[in-house]
Amino acid sequence: MDVPRAADFLRSFRPSRTTGLFVLFVVEIALISAAVPGYFSVYGLLDASRQFVEAGIIALGMTLVIITGGIDLSVGSLLALVSVTIGFGMDAGLPLWLAILAGMGVGTLCGFFNGVMVTALRLHPLVVTLGTFALFRGIAFAVSGAGAVSNFPAWFGVFGQTTIGGLVPVQLVFFVVLAAAFAIMLARTRFGRYVYAIGNNEVTARFSGLDTDRAKIAIYTLTGWLVSIAAVIHTSRISSARANAGFVLELTVIAMVVLGGTRITGGSGTILGTVMGVLILSYLQDGLLFAGVRSDWGLVVVGAFLIVGVFINEFFRKETR
Amino acid sequence: MAEPMTASGVSGEAPAFAVRGLGKHFGGIHACREIELEFRAGEVLAILGENGAGKSTTVKCLHGLYQPDEGQVEVSGRAVHFRSPRDAEAAGISMIPQELDLFPDLSIAENLFLGQKRPRRPWGGFDQRAMNRQAREVMAALGVDVDVTAPVKTFSAATGRLVEIARALNRDARLIIMDEPTAALTEKETENLFEVIRRLKAAGVSIIYITHRLNECFTISDRIVVMRDGRLIRSGPAEEFTIGSLVDAMVGRPLETLYSRHSRPIGDVVFEVRGLTLGNVFSNVDFEVRSGEVLGVSGLIGSGRSEMAQAIYGIAPADRGEIIVDRKSVDVRSVSDALASGIAYLPEERRSQGLILPFTIAANMSLSVLALFSRLGFVNRKLEDGFASESARRFTVTGAALSSPVENLSGGNQQKVLIAKVLALDPKVVILDEPTRGVDVGAKSEVYRIIDDLAARNKAIVVISSEMNEVMSISDRIIVMHEGRISGRFTRDEFSQQAIGAAAAGQRLHHAA
Repeated sequence: MDVPRAADFLRSFRPSRTTGLFVLFVVEIALISAAVPGYFSVYGLLDASRQFVEAGIIALGMTLVIITGGIDLSVGSLLALVSVTIGFGMDAGLPLWLAILAGMGVGTLCGFFNGVMVTALRLHPLVVTLGTFALFRGIAFAVSGAGAVSNFPAWFGVFGQTTIGGLVPVQLVFFVVLAAAFAIMLARTRFGRYVYAIGNNEVTARFSGLDTDRAKIAIYTLTGWLVSIAAVIHTSRISSARANAGFVLELTVIAMVVLGGTRITGGSGTILGTVMGVLILSYLQDGLLFAGVRSDWGLVVVGAFLIVGVFINEFFRKETR
Repeated sequence: MAEPMTASGVSGEAPAFAVRGLGKHFGGIHACREIELEFRAGEVLAILGENGAGKSTTVKCLHGLYQPDEGQVEVSGRAVHFRSPRDAEAAGISMIPQELDLFPDLSIAENLFLGQKRPRRPWGGFDQRAMNRQAREVMAALGVDVDVTAPVKTFSAATGRLVEIARALNRDARLIIMDEPTAALTEKETENLFEVIRRLKAAGVSIIYITHRLNECFTISDRIVVMRDGRLIRSGPAEEFTIGSLVDAMVGRPLETLYSRHSRPIGDVVFEVRGLTLGNVFSNVDFEVRSGEVLGVSGLIGSGRSEMAQAIYGIAPADRGEIIVDRKSVDVRSVSDALASGIAYLPEERRSQGLILPFTIAANMSLSVLALFSRLGFVNRKLEDGFASESARRFTVTGAALSSPVENLSGGNQQKVLIAKVLALDPKVVILDEPTRGVDVGAKSEVYRIIDDLAARNKAIVVISSEMNEVMSISDRIIVMHEGRISGRFTRDEFSQQAIGAAAAGQRLHHAA
């Protein structure tokens, strides 16, 4: 009651956080282009999207998960499990299209499993998905031995290696379409409203008659489905299915989401923000790689951005209080 | 008033604490200005005002949470600048917040010593025994005999409140600010608290008492100041005021009557509960409510009132018993079952159970009925806004756009948004749990008007309340709960504070249930 006007005033700046991220992204591209001769080209920038689309697609689901106050640490492991299911399914004699469907079924089901564990057992998502983080990758290793499958037919490259008009990677189209769909879902549908309601105050959501458990199960299942799509693209892109795929992918994804303005404790966040987080983090990593910095430093960037992202979110939140 | 007033009792030597020309603004808005207050040892000063009048801002400046933009705080006649509550506490000013600020898993003794130097043993470890001894002494000084080694969560909210006061005393506070200390207390517990306040007075402690309950000011305070729109409107000894003159000063206009209750025809039984039982929380609860009837539910906090209501509403369904709406038995396993059966519930905790604070007014009002405004899962904002603006008119939610977050609203307006949300489905049975908690006088009277209006629309209404005056003024019948059972039933001509109070305490007077 004390500060209504002041809070309104500051709050009016909040939506522009995404605008701020966009400006940051443009500055970042400009700086890298200036510092690294030969970096800037439309083709190069579009081509670099191959590196981040998989994480980006998963980040869409992760945004919903984190808004509801949860977390999903199992996405990297699940990507490996789906990839191995596809590769070794084919190796075992399934037609490839059937192996792909089987992989996607496994991925979606595993997401459903996460959701059921979180809601039915009332366990914290951190604990549940830390468990499935080990579980999913463990199964992937157990199924594949230490081997890899890479004798995919040529048509499988369509998901990860082709371009449209020789310029736009196919998977970038997937990402844009999915991002638009999720943005509309979160902003315009009843389900989207419930996601924010649960994240801000789950007790009130239940007192309002919302089926919070069903919504959460749906969110984790959706995330599993997105991981499956990412896994198909990943397997197609590198033409190889192996159990060590998607290593530390969960951290990259979480860093992208948090950098995009989703509060790690839930309640607020947008898909557009997440997309900006994906772009900023990915192009920084890409620029460093292009400049000849060893790829190990990419993980350092992820870690740093995760902390910086959380800090900025909390800092801005305090300002608006 | 052009002339800033001084709320001083006695003149002479410098008062222990004083506020001189205090002002604080946020953006362009003055939350309070030209506040002059003096606090004498052993005096209770009540600060009254509607929500948004500037009471909280004033005491937060005094407690160092805010730094004043104008004027100053004085201790023993010298100006001081508190940069944080820590500074204020070092100067002897403590605040008992509205919401309990204790660690539920720590013992009373450990809570008393939080943020303070603890007694140590010669080799440096904490001296638990000395801590417990000192804690017992402080609690005994308040007239409370409890096991100080037991975790705070095992005690009632009332005892928690006393622990907060003990914590202030343990810091040698000379001025204790109490922000709505009785909001969650029953009459009996309130009486205990007053006894504690009298002891504090006798020990020379000054007290600032903020409340919405006007009766309490006359019982406990020596002086009263009334604030409105950030200014000090009236001040003087408590004897100089009457309820009427206080209300006039607070709202700036005369208020005819606080309670509205029109006599109306009472119809058939709409809502019945038979043998409702949930573990050892409550058992064999039977009652019925007719259309157009208001049933009051009285009882102490922890008597199972809210749990019973929440069982009916499907939050934690009952093990046994029957719920009957319109002569049809309904099986309530979830909130959506209850809503579908025409049962609505206004939860007692507005902020943690009722509203989503960062959501807009419109989004809060429509949360339970969003399906009505959706096509293929997409929310039709136009329909939603139309519904919200109509609700805002009906329930007189004023002073804020529908697109502003409810956290920016005053308690009274928040409560009206919540009422709009709960009534959105046009329920047959309305259960209201503490519908006027923490709202100011003006909003209170509007809530009573809304309840009266619901009765006129033939709803069956259940009002759970800890305020005896309230429940006696608006109910047609009252049931009283004690330790999970109904311990008394009263028709309107049998209402009396003594009989209801006795039933709440589990004693039976001549009224048999």
